[in-house]
Amino acid sequence: MTIALPTNRDENWRYANLRPLAKARMERAPASPDRNRKPLDRKLAGFDRWFFSDGHFVVSDQSPEARIQLLDARKAGESFAALLDSDLATAGADFTLARINAARGDEVLQIELPDDSPPLKVELVYSAATPAANGTSYPRVQIVAGRNTRLQVVEHQLTAGDVDVAVNAAFDIALRPGASLDHVRLQDCSNAAAVFDTLVAHVGEDAAYRLRTVTLGGLTSRSTAFVRLAGRGSRCEFTAASIANGNQTHDMFAEIEHRGAGSVTRELFRGIANDRGKLAFNGKMIVRETALDADSDQSLKTLLTGNGAEAAARPQLEIYTDRVRAKHGATTGKLDEQMLFYLLSRGLDRPTAQALLQWAFVEDVISQIEQPELRREIENRMLTRLHAVSSLSGLLGERA
Amino acid sequence: MSLLKIENLSASAGGKKVLQGLSLAINAGEVHAIMGPNGSGKSTLSYVLAGRPGYEITAGRVEFEGRDLTTLSPEERARAGLFLGFQYPVEIPGVNNVYLLKAALNARRKAQGLQEVDAYEFLQLVRAKMKLMQMDESFLSRGVNEGFSGGEKKRNEILQMLVIEPTLAVLDETDSGLDIDALKVVAKGVNSLRSANRGVLLITHYQRLLDHVVPDYVHVLARGRIAKTGDKSLAIELEKRGYDWVLEVA
Repeated sequence: MTIALPTNRDENWRYANLRPLAKARMERAPASPDRNRKPLDRKLAGFDRWFFSDGHFVVSDQSPEARIQLLDARKAGESFAALLDSDLATAGADFTLARINAARGDEVLQIELPDDSPPLKVELVYSAATPAANGTSYPRVQIVAGRNTRLQVVEHQLTAGDVDVAVNAAFDIALRPGASLDHVRLQDCSNAAAVFDTLVAHVGEDAAYRLRTVTLGGLTSRSTAFVRLAGRGSRCEFTAASIANGNQTHDMFAEIEHRGAGSVTRELFRGIANDRGKLAFNGKMIVRETALDADSDQSLKTLLTGNGAEAAARPQLEIYTDRVRAKHGATTGKLDEQMLFYLLSRGLDRPTAQALLQWAFVEDVISQIEQPELRREIENRMLTRLHAVSSLSGLLGERA
Repeated sequence: MSLLKIENLSASAGGKKVLQGLSLAINAGEVHAIMGPNGSGKSTLSYVLAGRPGYEITAGRVEFEGRDLTTLSPEERARAGLFLGFQYPVEIPGVNNVYLLKAALNARRKAQGLQEVDAYEFLQLVRAKMKLMQMDESFLSRGVNEGFSGGEKKRNEILQMLVIEPTLAVLDETDSGLDIDALKVVAKGVNSLRSANRGVLLITHYQRLLDHVVPDYVHVLARGRIAKTGDKSLAIELEKRGYDWVLEVA
């Protein structure tokens, strides 16, 4: 079976660097010798942890729990298709990668919380080690959060070493009325990796989906997200940060569709392009006729610090009703000279002052990550990416 | 000993000549006040001393403790002991006060050949200085000047100065926007820094700050140079008569 990849001619893929994925072997990556390695030695307090290597399940320290299962991909796909609106799950070039994932992957992690069941916390660690020439990883997660349930999911997408892996991940989410999902995603793969993912979320009445996603790694990275606020009073907080160094390309497309009356979106993106890094965030907000009194707010900001760096922050609005509040703002700029001079005038050296301002630029995203140990880990990884580990080493210790 | 020696300094900002042959010497232990009408070059002088980009020295010399100040970068000037208290301190969300205070102090200490302060020692120091400035400790964890009122920003400038303990403090209209109580607190902070081996250059529009921080010298800056010098009584006279009479004789 051959499914053609999107190209830069496709409207929503203009900024993506698809070449490394096109060159990768499309067959599922074999289980690698690395698969018994656990790159994270700490577990988040109270979280069940599932560890995957090259998309293959390795180990779980899950407490006895029937709500998380590893399923055969085809079986899971069939059961899940009924949950999502069929047009959302199958339409267009934007779902090409998800379709490839479904066709090539053969394991699905399914998290299903029955209505009114107790809260659940799950940590998913995906480590990839197989070079792209030998195959692609296809992680897939499906979540159904029943009525009035609360779920927290933390995802780490990593590589074992400086390897040019190819990852094509898919995440399907259905939130029943009153359910809430706090979802944190960290992608810190090697700078040679090609990391692609497709996320679909269907948010029911009075349900809330909160996504905090941090993209640091990959020669090329592309996240495609479709969130449908289907129910009355449904809510989405879509918060993303990205740092592209060297010749990295990070591209993100997020379409959030308001269908339910009084549905609310808060979208925040902060991206830094250093060196010759390229960043794009395309935030499309659709408000349907049925979404009376919908409320959406987009704030997209990118910072260029390298001479060859490029960034595009693009808010799009499609509004089909008059009763709506839709606010959006997008900026692309350089480091604030006044702030820089202020810090220099206090004796900070220039690299430290610059790194500190970059840090400050993304901090309002990171500060929204509630788990302290996770936030600390992400902050440390960010400092590494800002080449500021030594100069800002005291920064984390000085937080209140 | 002369801390700061400015000779025939001319400088431009945005292509416009602002300072035109300014000369001034500040010795250790002295407090100098510079007053002058709007546009006379007061803030330009402070920025030129601190090395702000966009302010170009076209003639003259500036020595700080015998070193040619103009060859130093802004951060080198700060580490050498020059402090600028900004007229409009910038807000830097995401960088918290306590980090900046510690980084600034340690940069200064490193330049002095001293060890970095440990966390306990630093906190003790900062708490004492905050008490003096009547600032709540909650300010430490807030972003630098983020959401601060005008008065809080000025107090924060003085707090930074007290923690860093510079050799020469240049305070650009630190009194502007302060109510009388805040003015007294700021003045108390400035006075606490006065010592035989330090100097202060107060830039101000009004005489009222000088009631609380009594200067050794008062200068009137007009048309880019020092037009008149006197003691505190000159400030009182300026308050009564305005600047026109100085400009006429300049």
